[in-house]
Amino acid sequence: MTFQQILSNPEINERWQKVKKYFFLRESTYDMTNRCNLRCDGCYYYEGAKQFSNDERDPGKWRALMTAEKERGITFVVLAGAEPGLVPELCQACYDVIPLGCIASNGLRPFPEGVGYRIHVSVWGDDAESKKYRGRACLDQQLQSFKDDDRAIFVYTFTRPNIDQAKGEIHRIADHGGRVTFNMFSPPVGYKGDLTMDAESFRRARDCMLELLERYPGAVLYSRYSAEVHCDPERSLHQRFRCPYPRCNPDTRLGLGRSFRQYRSDLTWDRSVACCVPDTDCGDCRHYASGSAIVTSRMAQHVGSELDFEKWLDYVDTYLAVWVRGYEKGRNLYT
Amino acid sequence: MRTRIAEIIINELKLKDVTPGTFDPNLDLIEDLGIDSMELTTIVVVIQDEFGVKIDEDDFGELTTLNKIVKYIEKKKG
Repeated sequence: MTFQQILSNPEINERWQKVKKYFFLRESTYDMTNRCNLRCDGCYYYEGAKQFSNDERDPGKWRALMTAEKERGITFVVLAGAEPGLVPELCQACYDVIPLGCIASNGLRPFPEGVGYRIHVSVWGDDAESKKYRGRACLDQQLQSFKDDDRAIFVYTFTRPNIDQAKGEIHRIADHGGRVTFNMFSPPVGYKGDLTMDAESFRRARDCMLELLERYPGAVLYSRYSAEVHCDPERSLHQRFRCPYPRCNPDTRLGLGRSFRQYRSDLTWDRSVACCVPDTDCGDCRHYASGSAIVTSRMAQHVGSELDFEKWLDYVDTYLAVWVRGYEKGRNLYT
Repeated sequence: MRTRIAEIIINELKLKDVTPGTFDPNLDLIEDLGIDSMELTTIVVVIQDEFGVKIDEDDFGELTTLNKIVKYIEKKKG
């Protein structure tokens, strides 16, 4: 079947035209500070060299960096590590120059209204689990901080011990009018703790995701294909699709290998370690952020049939709804 | 082949004020037009269909001008 034949299906063509408008997005990521108000077991930020970078706290220097980034073609910024909520004035400086982007936050501090980015609020199991692995229960405060805030997407990270807690926590989020997507715990290099998934827990997590997707269609931003690729017990995302981030990809001619940078909090960057979740073990990476780039970039692997292309469109539609404020997800085509 | 590939590029990128006859064969799609991997992938997928060749993802980065694409497809078709 040719690509043109696939596009002759009106529903597929409509979705293709919808997602294609966002092909202009060019991403880079930025560690905003080396400080955090939590210490979570298995946090990738506090692995490797980046945690020892000095903080650049001058909003003018961040504004200058963003101006330079814009000039080299970056259109979408991801503000992350350790906790961007501790430096709202720097987030504002970034937003003032590049207004498309997303903040990865623990959500304990609200962001000023003027910072109009999408905000991802991390959720790790129920209150008891959160106390055990993050040092405190977070969800009540997160829900309060982001009540009726259309910027917020809650991100429930599945770990081996918290799969059975997901139903209760997603219900709490949906009940408060929140929207949620799923992440898969992806261990940092050398991690020896008990959060790492095994084959059985991948299967249970996938079944749980699919049940929640069906039960909360308005609140859960996800797709069947997302669950399949992120819960593949045999292959990490890199093993299945080949990761295009510079850390795994020496090709500098095109795409993320050409333009992606991961800036540390001192505004330096190093191509050899650059990816969206540095210091994560690539051989076991199923992180939602990496998948958003990896699966999306592999369109050519999904044009062999209508079904394959529907899966890819669902994945990209989900990725855009999760990451781009104002983009609304359509119904999944592959069910 | 050259004309048809130029048409595909013009159509997919919705380029204005240019025809297959006036399309600069050495115009660099990435450096000069600022397109990136997703736009290039779309062009490549349509070209694959049109000429019945399989283009390896590792080769996408080579296909940056009309001349390079034509040369690549000619080589593939033997």
